[in-house]
Amino acid sequence: MTASAAGQEVRPGDEMAPLSRTVSQAQIDAYADASGDHNPIHVDPEFARSVGLPGTIAHGMLEMAILGEAVGRWAGGHDRLIELACRFSKPLLPGDTVTCTGRVASVDHAAGSATLQLEATSSRGDRVLTNGRAVVRLAG
Amino acid sequence: MPDLSHVGRRYLAPGQAVSAERVAEYASAVSGADAVYSPGSVPPAFAAVYCLLPSLAKVLADAELGIELAGLIHAEQSFEWPVPVRPGDVVEASAQVASVESKRGMTFVTLDLAATNQSGHTVCRGRSLLLLRGAGR
Repeated sequence: MTASAAGQEVRPGDEMAPLSRTVSQAQIDAYADASGDHNPIHVDPEFARSVGLPGTIAHGMLEMAILGEAVGRWAGGHDRLIELACRFSKPLLPGDTVTCTGRVASVDHAAGSATLQLEATSSRGDRVLTNGRAVVRLAG
Repeated sequence: MPDLSHVGRRYLAPGQAVSAERVAEYASAVSGADAVYSPGSVPPAFAAVYCLLPSLAKVLADAELGIELAGLIHAEQSFEWPVPVRPGDVVEASAQVASVESKRGMTFVTLDLAATNQSGHTVCRGRSLLLLRGAGR
């Protein structure tokens, strides 16, 4: 049997528990410091507007990190992730809540792994992460 | 602005320390009070810190290539981890220009990323799609 964190057998179509997080400008600033990514489109509203954005936007990698966290919680540990991929389709703006969802696309019993399809939407209704995909090593 | 003549260029960023302190700081910036950071493991997206950003810094430092950080849009990202990365690892990160394409007034640059640990094992591979405003030659 190949099991998720909850210990149940994993089947195609299973839904991952969604993970929602409200991303403030303070969190974006903290992410810039923790990651070392100080691209001004994330931290300088005036610069962001000068390149046609409505204001600062969250780092794509911050959104991907939240997506990875959601998968890690479902799989029972983030070191179970073998692959993670996504497209940064729409910007996530400070103050927005991002919700990551996913479902199992396939299970490889021989390899003891599952592939999930993932996406993330913002509280303003934008699909901010699309074409999301993860491969995880299952327990058991 | 990058063009086809730059495809194949490879950039090395040796000596990236995967320190437990930085991993914890990163996990806290991502997850706040919810952080599920457990000592001994590394959140997957921390690959931004030991692989993507240091090798991208080398890419940006190539004046002939001509990519600027300001206004750079990260369009797609994938990572895979053939071997787990552990706190205490020291990795060599690299980025290679895999393709350059100009369309609709934008330039799309694909970078192939890799990180190799102190034992010579590839701990991370990745691919980044970057969007630059402005078309190349």
